[in-house]
Order: sequence, then structure tokens, then C-alpha cells
Amino acid sequence: MPSVGKDIPNESSAGHVSGRSVFLDDVSPARNESLVDFVGSPVAHGRIVSVDLSAAARIPGVVALLTHEDIPGHNRFGSTLKDEHLLADETVEYVGDPVVLIVAETRAAIDAAKKSIRLEIEELAPILSIDDAIAANSFIGTRLMIERGDSSSALAQSEHRLEGALVTGGQEHFYFESHTAIAEPGEYGRMTIHSSTQHPTETQQVAAEVLGVAFNHVVVICKRMGGAFGGKETQAAAPAAMAALAAVKTGRPCRIVLSKDDDMRCTGKRHPFQSRWSVGFDSTGKITAMSIDLYANAGCACDVSPAILERAMLHSDNAYYIPDFRVTGRLCRTNLPSNTAFRGFGGPQGVVNIENIIEEIALHLGKDALDVRQTNCYGIDERDITPYGQRVDNNTLPALFAQLRQASGYDWRQMEIAKFNAESPTHVRGLSMTAVKFGISFTKKALNQANALVNLYTDGSVMISTGGTEMGQGLNTRLRQIVADELGVVFENVIVAATSTDKNNNTSPTAASTGTDLNGAAAVDACRKLRERLAEFAAPLLCDAKAGLAPSAEHVRFADGVVCDSRQPSRQMSFGELVAKAYEERINLGERGFYATQGIEYNRNTGKGTPFLYFTNAVAASEVEIDRFTGELKVRRVDALMDAGQRINPGIDRGQLSGGFMQGLGWVTTEELKYSTRGELLSHSPTTYKIPNIGDLPEVFNLEFMESSGNTVNLLRSKALGEPPLLLAISVWTAAKQAVACVNPASAKKLTVPATGETLLLAMEERQEQAQPASAG
Amino acid sequence: MRDYIVLYVNGQKREIHGDAAFLSISDYVRHDLGLMGTKVVCAEGDCGSCTVLLGRARNGFIEYRSVCSCIQFVFQADGCHVVTVEGLGNSDNLNGVQSALVEHQGTQCGFCTPGIVMSIQALLETDSVLSEQRLRQGLVGNLCRCTGYDPIVRAGMAVNGRRVTRMNELFNSSAMAEELASTAQQSVRVEAAGKTFFKPAEIDEAVGFRGANPDCVIVSGGTDFGVQVNKGSREIKTVLSTAALAELRDLSVDDVEMVAGANLTIAELENAAAETLPEYAKLLARFGSPQIKNSATLGGNIANASPIGDTMPTLFVLNAQVELVGSKGGRHVNINDFYTGYKKTVATADELIRRIVIPRLKSGELLRLFKVSKRSDLDISTFSAAIWLKLSGAVIDDARIAYGGVAPVILRLHRVEEYLRGRRISVETFARAGEIAASEVTPISDVRSSATYRGKLAGNILSKLYYELDAERKHASIA
Repeated sequence: MPSVGKDIPNESSAGHVSGRSVFLDDVSPARNESLVDFVGSPVAHGRIVSVDLSAAARIPGVVALLTHEDIPGHNRFGSTLKDEHLLADETVEYVGDPVVLIVAETRAAIDAAKKSIRLEIEELAPILSIDDAIAANSFIGTRLMIERGDSSSALAQSEHRLEGALVTGGQEHFYFESHTAIAEPGEYGRMTIHSSTQHPTETQQVAAEVLGVAFNHVVVICKRMGGAFGGKETQAAAPAAMAALAAVKTGRPCRIVLSKDDDMRCTGKRHPFQSRWSVGFDSTGKITAMSIDLYANAGCACDVSPAILERAMLHSDNAYYIPDFRVTGRLCRTNLPSNTAFRGFGGPQGVVNIENIIEEIALHLGKDALDVRQTNCYGIDERDITPYGQRVDNNTLPALFAQLRQASGYDWRQMEIAKFNAESPTHVRGLSMTAVKFGISFTKKALNQANALVNLYTDGSVMISTGGTEMGQGLNTRLRQIVADELGVVFENVIVAATSTDKNNNTSPTAASTGTDLNGAAAVDACRKLRERLAEFAAPLLCDAKAGLAPSAEHVRFADGVVCDSRQPSRQMSFGELVAKAYEERINLGERGFYATQGIEYNRNTGKGTPFLYFTNAVAASEVEIDRFTGELKVRRVDALMDAGQRINPGIDRGQLSGGFMQGLGWVTTEELKYSTRGELLSHSPTTYKIPNIGDLPEVFNLEFMESSGNTVNLLRSKALGEPPLLLAISVWTAAKQAVACVNPASAKKLTVPATGETLLLAMEERQEQAQPASAG
Repeated sequence: MRDYIVLYVNGQKREIHGDAAFLSISDYVRHDLGLMGTKVVCAEGDCGSCTVLLGRARNGFIEYRSVCSCIQFVFQADGCHVVTVEGLGNSDNLNGVQSALVEHQGTQCGFCTPGIVMSIQALLETDSVLSEQRLRQGLVGNLCRCTGYDPIVRAGMAVNGRRVTRMNELFNSSAMAEELASTAQQSVRVEAAGKTFFKPAEIDEAVGFRGANPDCVIVSGGTDFGVQVNKGSREIKTVLSTAALAELRDLSVDDVEMVAGANLTIAELENAAAETLPEYAKLLARFGSPQIKNSATLGGNIANASPIGDTMPTLFVLNAQVELVGSKGGRHVNINDFYTGYKKTVATADELIRRIVIPRLKSGELLRLFKVSKRSDLDISTFSAAIWLKLSGAVIDDARIAYGGVAPVILRLHRVEEYLRGRRISVETFARAGEIAASEVTPISDVRSSATYRGKLAGNILSKLYYELDAERKHASIA
């Protein structure tokens, strides 16, 4: 029985539910272990005048106080540009920017030291918003552009033309396990770091550079993370490097665990965006031209912002064909923690923009927005080239739209809603269906590679390791399924080792939804090599010469833990027996597999290429109800339909769909990052930052997958689905917009993300305020 | 007098001396006992990852309730049985809740999972069959960032409650119950590292201690105090616990009023109000999470004097009486006269809140309560309102209106009340009342909302009330 395709529970779930799964801070402290924390800048922007550590140094239990001057290697790092410091040297760039590391034996000593450290900082004017940054010409890098045709003349010639702007807010990852690392100093300047990281290799490199040692001196290990969502892709490196620096300086094992408040205050988030757009279309709603200028608030440093901006631009078409198209993007440098990867990686910001534009077209023409969407949807063998030149192959979007339109009862429900809205004095409803066409592959080509190690032991048990990290998404479960099937053994026979840079080198982050695609394919490569070798060895053992059969490796079959010759299946041996025999004959029982995605290429300078191996497609229809007196929003019903190819684990896939959707729901409704005018994050804990809770689960939540087997380019015809479901929640926002438009069309145009109850009420009631003469322009 | 803490953890007796008594329960079980299943994420009782069961002896058995162990201190668990996730089953021998979560993919990263397990277990302690609504209510205090809750709901609905062993059975609790019943009633005084914990058994001792230590913190449920300590805004110095004062747990109901002891938890109050004041029970259903409601008390919420305390606007419009007890004896204060400013009350340095007298509704009176928050559940109010009307047919004979979140204290809207008296219920009456209300409040902008939004809510809520009354009237006339 194959494992792939079965609904096997997450392999760690028995440990999770019994509290036995070990997360990093659950590891007992080693002898002499010290705790690490830091004192950060109290201001968003400033010049360090002096740092007085004298009082703190006298506190019992304080082991060391470290500043940038104590860094033996480089104080500059960054995954795109080297523009981040580990510890502030001349300037501080955001509230919480680490200045002094405290290494102490107890939490109480750390707390006391925090109060005793005196920072004298000359405050400089901060830049906080996109508007501020544009005004101050504060940008990172150059303007990026993707263009097809001549959008400006096509816009001028369009039958209808609309313009507008869209503001989207940031989002806190709110992974439950805050940034954590334990560094253990070793011999000869070597270092082992246990880190809650999606990117062990980058964590290794940053730590090595900070310590001034070669990469091979640092081993980074990640067993599991308590959630990550992109927040531990690049930004796990700094806390790990802090622990490593403290370990080198004190000679003790050092542990850093950020409090949830500090984690929220001091680390990056989803990028807030602004879009300024123009669209041209005909009276059927068919889009003829579009021009979009995107601005992203990158925070104080580059991080992976260019790739995020680029993905936003590459998703600005979403599911829709636009003949003449132009999108530009700029990164604003501001005095906030450097914004970073977050599930969707710019995709949500690009997609919500065009879905908003489609709502505007529908409102303008008095048409149903879903009709407009289907009118513009990428075609099959026609109207199927994206603005950047990639063909939309294996296009399931038209079928998804049609199927869900039917299954969700979209048309009759729209009629009922119109009736309800006409009659109800207290509530207003909206129903909207949006799509996602999410490009799978890292847009940075080099990252589209993976290696995997597969070890066979003489009892037939199997250990695999890859560069992929487990954060709850089910990677390890899927890897076990894939490897079990490749070797013809049962699922339980395969174990995935903790991710470690000494087993797998130069790994890519587990990100961009590609964890299974890349690491699974590398593991398959290793398994196939092992299987070929074992088949050669087994062929003579399995064939009965007396029956007139010649040994044939081709006919050796591996299934259900048993190996046989398919011509004579009754003559078989267990997988373990075969491996033990192979060992005696000195056959190599370990293999390293490798995979590099073929056929992808993208030129950032020309904005052309085939950046993605394939697209994961989905649609969702959401119905909301808004209280006209309070603005409170309730999601009455959601129907989602996803094309995830041939699914490796339907249960895990379903969990990605529900989890991604709800995370997106938070982004578009209740998750609001509030800052003071001085750049301090005010909503830095769950008391004030509201991720969805169980009460926000839609009353009806229908999650379905479409049968689809056309994705021949990827591992086992599967499709990645970590990120795409998040974008489906955009349908909640467009539904809310439709509802607001019933009450107040003018202000619906300006609706922002997130649409909190406050935002919705003020939008619905804006009319009264406009009783005064409207301002011109 | 006992000078250490006695409690049970997962069936094993622990005596805790000295400074460890002042640890949070989560730190104690994790660091002193090595029970790492209990996770701490927010350290403010707002995510539920640290959920444990706290068992208290009641009538010969132990009543187990979920609490957030990160904001409950060891000293609060004196005389209790703490059950952590490790107490339920291990990875080779899962209980019914745990195995349902495994089978239905109810766990992804796993960090929130032990808390989810404990919350579902807590539900099964009282209900062997869970409706989906009950399950959802029971999990309001458990955030999960991975699953989107849907798999957890599926798992919860798949649990066969009859086959999940209850805690009293699992731990064969009758002997423990007997011991804890007497332990919990003992006076305790623990002093260590400059900190003092005093839990008197007699109210006179409490009043005396309070008078002698005017700066002491009176801890009842401690759900706010725990947050303040964790977030560094307050240090533990001198703590007076009211937990052993039996008089503070009164609960009596007659035709006229409900008398509720200050130490009744919000959960107990919600239960008690379900029949006597259902509108209040409905509001309390949205007061925090089960974990908080199982710890927080009515007296604590009143004494804490926050202008956004969810229990209070109702008490204002019902003219509830706060019964204080002090060295000079007892007195009753109308709650409308109880607060003198932001977080300030008329209680003197040696007075404690003993109980609250809550008048019930008489014929012709109606009560409507509103709470608006950014997230519907488990969120602090942006705005809250209690509206009490006395009607003769469609005419309003009398009105009392109290708002939370629009002033430094709970605000009575006397001008609106005056306007409404003698008027007929109509859309215009309530629209005008809303305009007056909007002009009577002085809200501020803060992290939860802008002043503009609060101002609009202050007005709109009266129109919303009108339509609710109108719908009820139409419904009644159809019926």
C-alpha cells in the first residue's frame, strides 16, 4: 500500500497532543548555561552618543555586557544587501534596534541590567510611513518594472477608465514560538547553534560572519519550529548570532528566547503597501489596459524586500489577462524593523490590488464582479500569456470559477443578498468570489535547489535528512510518505532527522511553498539511486535460475517492505534482509540526492521570463454581514475550491487550506498594527493585536479540492499549497467592500486593508461628514 | 499558621517553600518540575497555550476548571490540584481528546496544542456530549495560528466524551478532595526574598492585614495582577489573598435580587445569571475566555476599576450595591457612587469588597447590553453599553444608561436618560437620544480605537437598540 495519497496524521502529532514534543526552549539548560537578551533603542531613529554599562556590570548574575565593539567578525549582514547590523554601532534605525547584549545567569539579573543600562541617543527625525518615505526620497534600490505593450496609450484609448489607490496594512506573523536559539561553544572556535529557523544555512552564514570564522565552523540545527510563516526565514539569524556571540565571549552555552512582546516589537512583518492604479476596460468589463505603481514599506533594511516586491508585481495580474500592462515597484526605507517574508511573500498585496480593481470595474458598470472576473480570466490556449511572458499552462482557473459558481449557489445567493440589503435597516451583506494563481518557485533562481541524504540501516530502517525545516506544515510527514513509497517500505520505517547544516549544506530556506517540491524531489533522487543499486544486488538473489530466469534488476520490485522479482513474486525477501545482505557485500547504503528545478529563468532588469515552474490555483466565495451601527463583521459562509494537483496528504493539505485562509482573514479584517507617532508599536501582544480566534471561523466553511492530474512538471504531479490559501481570504475583504458599497459607494472606493469594524463603520457613515462642502480634488 | 504552599500536580503532592511560591504556575511546572508540555507564548492570559486544569475541592469531589497558568501564581494554587497535559496521557497512550486531535489533523506546529487539549478536557469535565457551539465557546481562549481552527473543531466533535476518563476518576480523587478541602481553608503566610503572601481564613484577619499593609495587593482571581507582574509594570511585594474567605463566596437569589460574593468567578456569575438575568449571562459569555472567567472574580473586576470592565455597566444601570467590609464594620455603596476617577474608588485603605447586591428586573423593565470590540470574542471592549428601560406599553417611564470605554470611568448618560423619560419608543426618539449621547461622551483614541469611532458607537448603539426592540415587538406580535 503506498503512503502517498493517504491521510496520515502529522508525524509529530502524538508528541504535540501529549506535550512531549520538544521545542527549543523545552531543552533543559546545560551546566553553566546563560541567558541572553538585549537592550534596544528607545527611539525610531537616532545617533548613539554614549552607552554606559557600569551600573549594569555590577549586578550579581550578569556575566557579560556586549556591544558592537565585541564582535570579532562583521557587524553587517543581510540576505540581499549587507545593510543590517547585529548591534547598533553609529545609528539606531528603529525602536528596539539592539544596542547592548546582556548575558546573565538569571532572568532577574537580565531585568535588573535592562534598567541599569544608560543609552544616550541623539534623536533624529524618523521616517515611518510610505508617504513620509516618498516625500523624503527614502528608497532602497531602484524602481522595478514589468511591462507589456503600451499601457498609457491603451489607457487613453479605453472605453472606460478608472483610477484609484489602495492601502494595505502589515501583518505580524504571530508564530507561537518566539525567536529562540541556543549556542554551544565547541573546540577550536567551532560553534553549534540550535535555532528555530526556516533557513539553517543563512543562520549558519550570518553567525559565522559575526564570529569571524569559516562557515564550516558553525553547525546550525533545527528540529522543529513552533510556527514560522516566513518570520523565521531571514530573521532567525540575528538572535542565533547573538547567542553565538555571547557563547564565544563567555565560553558558556547561551540561550536567547524573545518574549512575545519583544518579538513583536523588534522583528519585521508583512510589508504594508500602497498601490496607485489606473485601469481601462470596455463596457463588457473586459480589461484593456492597466498601470500600477506599488510602494512597499520595507522598514529600515533591505532583507528580502526586493523579492517580495517582485512577487507582488508578478502577481499583479493574478488570474486575469491584461493586454497592455505596466506595474512598477519601489521599496521605501523607513524607521521600522525591517519587514520580511510572510506567507504569500508580496503575493497577497499584488492580488488584493487587482481584485479591488475588478470590484471597482463592476461597481462602475453595475455588473456582477464575478462576471467581470470570468470575462478577464486567463484562457486555455488563448489569452494565456502573463505580462512577464510566461504561459499559463495547465490552466484550471476557468474550471475552478465555473465549478465554484455552481457549487456555492453564487447566483441565487446574490439575489437573496440584494433583497436582504434592500430590506434590512440593521445589517448589510456582501458576497464575493476571488481567485488566486500563485507562482511556485523562488524568483531567485539559485534557491531552487535541494539536497537530501538517505541512509539505510542494516535492519532496513531508513533515516532521511534534507535542508527542509518543519514548522507545522507537515513537510516531515510528506517526506516520510514519499521516501517510504520510493523504497517500497512502510511509513513507520522511515524517520526524518533534525535539519542540520552538517548533514545538508548550502540549503535553501523552507519557504515559497516549495519545501516538499524541492526537498521531496531531492529525496526521491537519492532513493532511486539506492534502489537501482539494491536492485542490481538483489536481482541474482531473487531469481530462480532453475525456473529459467536470468537475473534482471529491471524486474526487481520494492513494495510493502518486501523485495521480489516481478516475474516470480512468490520468491521474496524483506527489505531489511536485503539491506543486511548488501552490507555484508560492502554495498554503499547511503545516498545523497540532488534536485534543481529546470526551465525557470527570470530577468529582473527586463521584467521578462519564466520565473515559475507552475501555478497553484484556487477560488473562494465569501459572504459577510456587517452591522450598520457598529461596523462589526461576521463571515457567514466561505466556499473554497483548490487545485492542488495530486495530493500527497489530503489531511495535511486541508489543514494548509483552512489555516492559510484564516491567517488571510486576519490580515484583511482584525489584524491591525498600530504605532505611536514616534514609531513605537502599540499593538505588541495578543491583548491588542487580534489574530482570528475560533469565534471568527466562518459559520459555514466548505473546503474542497479539484481533481487535477495535469501538473506533470512537479514531484508526483502534486502542487505546492503552503501560501496560496492565504490569498483566498481576499474574498472576505471584497465581500465587505461590496457590502459597504451598498451603503456608501463613494467611500467603498477608499476602503483599506484591514477592514476592521472601525474602518467599516466610518466608511459606511462617511456621507454625513461630507455634508460639509467636499474638498476639491 | 502554615508557612508554605501545598498543592498537587498530576496527582502528586508538593510542598512549596520560599520564593518558589511566587512563581507563576507555568514557570513552576516547567522549570521546577520539568513538565515542558505547558507552553508560554503571550504571558498575559490571551492565547491559552499555558492552559492547565486547576482542581478545587467542592462537596467531596474536585471541580476541575481550565486556567491560564502563566498569569496564576503558585500561591493561588494553594489547596488545589494542578493537572498539566502530562497528566492526561503520554504519546504511547493518548486519551480520547488527544487521539481525536491526532486523527483529525488538529495540530500543526504543536505549540498551542497542549492548551487546546486541556481546554477540551475541561469541557468534558462537565459535559460528556459537546455541541459544536459549546465546543467553540470552550475554545475561545485558545488561539491557534496554524490550523485555522476547522480541524480542531472537527477533532473536538469527533471526541466520544463518554469514553474520556474524567479527572476525578483518573486521579481517584476522593482522598485528595478531602485533604485539599481542609488545606484550602487554612491560613497561610509565606515570606521569602522580600515578598509576603498572606491568605487568611477569617475576614477580620484580612481586614486587619489590609489596614496594616495599605500598599498590599489584594489578589482574588489575579488575572490582571499576573499580567502586570509578567510585563514588568508591577512587582510582587505584599499579597493578600481572599481565596480562603468563605463569606466572599455567597450566592443567593430571591425574587428581588441576586447577592453575589466578591470571590465568585465570572464563570460562576454567568451560570447564576443564566436564569435570573439572562441578558447579563449573554454578555458575560463574551467576557474573556473560559480560562479567565474561571479565575477572574466579580469583586476583582469591580475593585480593579477599569472603565472597560465588562461586568460593570450592567451593575450601574441596575443600581447594584457594593457591600464593603472594613475595620469599622460594613457598609453598602451604590456602584454609581463607588468610583471617583480613573481606577479610583471610595473604598478606604482597610476595606474589602464582600459582595454585590444586584437587583433583578421587575415587570415592565428591560435590560439590553452591548459590547463592541475589534475581534468578537476574547477581546477587551472598545465600547460597551448597558441600557435599562422601564416601559408602559410604548412609553418610556424611566431610563438608565451606562457606557464603558468613553470616559475615565463607567459613564451614566444622565442627559439621554432625561430625554428618554416620558417619550414614546420610535426611530426618531432613539436617533435623537443617540445624538445627545454622542455629545455627552468624551472618548479618547487609543490602541483599540479612535475617539471618532467610539463617539459614533455611543450614538449608534441607541438606534441599534431601537431596531432590536422593534424586531422583538414584531416577533412577539406574530407569536
